[in-house]
Amino acid sequence: MERFLDELALFAPAVVFNVYFAAASIPLGFVCAIFLALGKASANPLISRLSRGYIYAFRGSPLFIQFFMLYSLALSFNVAVWKPMGLSWFVLHPLFIGPLVLTLNTAAYTAEIFYGALRAVPRGEVEAARAYGMSRVQQFRHVIWPNLIRLAWPAYTNEVVFLFHATAIVYFALPVIGQQKDLMVTAKELFERDYNAFLHFSVAALYFLAVSLVVFFLFGQVYRRLMRHMPAAPGLRFAPKWLR
Amino acid sequence: MSEDLTFWLSYITNGKHLTWYASFQFTIFAAVLGGTLAVVFGLIGATLKNSRLLPLRLIGTFYSSIVRGVPDVLFFLFFPLAFEQAVEWVIASQVCTPDMLAAQSAAWPPCKEANWFLGTPEYLILASVSLGLVYGAFTTNVIHGALRSVPKGQLEAARAYGMSAGQLLWRVHIRQMWVYALPGLSNVWMLIIKATSLLSLLQIADIVLWADRLGAPNFLPAVGLVHEDWRWRYYLVLFVFYILVTLLSEKVFEAIMRRAGRGILSEVRD
Repeated sequence: MERFLDELALFAPAVVFNVYFAAASIPLGFVCAIFLALGKASANPLISRLSRGYIYAFRGSPLFIQFFMLYSLALSFNVAVWKPMGLSWFVLHPLFIGPLVLTLNTAAYTAEIFYGALRAVPRGEVEAARAYGMSRVQQFRHVIWPNLIRLAWPAYTNEVVFLFHATAIVYFALPVIGQQKDLMVTAKELFERDYNAFLHFSVAALYFLAVSLVVFFLFGQVYRRLMRHMPAAPGLRFAPKWLR
Repeated sequence: MSEDLTFWLSYITNGKHLTWYASFQFTIFAAVLGGTLAVVFGLIGATLKNSRLLPLRLIGTFYSSIVRGVPDVLFFLFFPLAFEQAVEWVIASQVCTPDMLAAQSAAWPPCKEANWFLGTPEYLILASVSLGLVYGAFTTNVIHGALRSVPKGQLEAARAYGMSAGQLLWRVHIRQMWVYALPGLSNVWMLIIKATSLLSLLQIADIVLWADRLGAPNFLPAVGLVHEDWRWRYYLVLFVFYILVTLLSEKVFEAIMRRAGRGILSEVRD
């Protein structure tokens, strides 16, 4: 029991890195996703094609490869660009490039969710808004967006939990600097020291599970608030879907 | 120009590149075996979840929700390591003598004789099984949902014909379930394809590891710098490879769905 508590304490600093990666990439990914979803639905064929291609590429390839590709790309610019500018330490730092890649990735997945919700926005409401003479920005601001976010929220919650799970592979693709270790690296190092797979990996799993539950709780609260106009407020359950 | 072409042709067909192309078999093997096992585990899990006995139902629910609540990488790494240790523990309980135990200084295995060496084929199979276990939890959910969307009338008709519970399950319920499960299974298959990029974490010399080796700055004492850091080009090739595989799978699943949904329901077809 005491061993278990020590283990919990040992992993506590590590979970901060996972939470940091997720927290740094989610807001930016959210904003990018709105533009990508609007781009995909755009009438302009060029914008639509580009957004479609971006979403397809980043949803159709593994995050692991995306990490390797973008990190090695950044490395190859090092001598020519980053070093003369004195930015190497910043651009090549896992704490910068990790959230960057995660943002690019989650933007694509979230955009697909938002695009699906955008198409499900009731047509009549948009037509009514147009009939009232609302400008396109007003239509989006007052009619489309409130509908969209309510439709997309459960799936978006799922995506956030998956993104948090995806932070587990950041340090398998990027270099570990000093004591900056996330849950998986900590578990692996401890395992290599005393070969106790069951203890170390279970504790890491417990942390992931706990944070996922917290995310479900917080996003469920937001969902309740979004849906407060409904007679019976639907709740969000802890149930990661198979869809990502 | 033609000299350039011959140079590049010989460059991309040199021994190391051929090894890289050969290593695609590991990825494909893991995807196919992992996918098959995921369906098997999914069927088992869904059967457990539908069981009439509470403990079995709990096991099924526990399996599908806990494995999905944890990152796939974690389970992917944990299962082969834990399995190896379990086997070594069993061997140790048979083989080790107190002298051997005393002679062993490392933390694991208990004695040197109990060491189980795992090569690439063993790791590949273990990796596929753990892929199957992880994504089996997802398929459990897909199949569980699909079993519930089979029209009740079909089952009642089968029962009216005097089929036993087992016959009903295997001849009617599971056969009709596939159409409803296909969209979900297609999603899980996409996830499995993407998860095969993790094989290199289990010391399998797969496409990712070879891309890293081939792209790394290449320096020969006799020639000097052969090429600088080309890794991003190799990773770009993999990036495109995975996108193409996804595209192909999408088309195949569309065709299967169109064929399986013939005459059954209209919403499956579009």
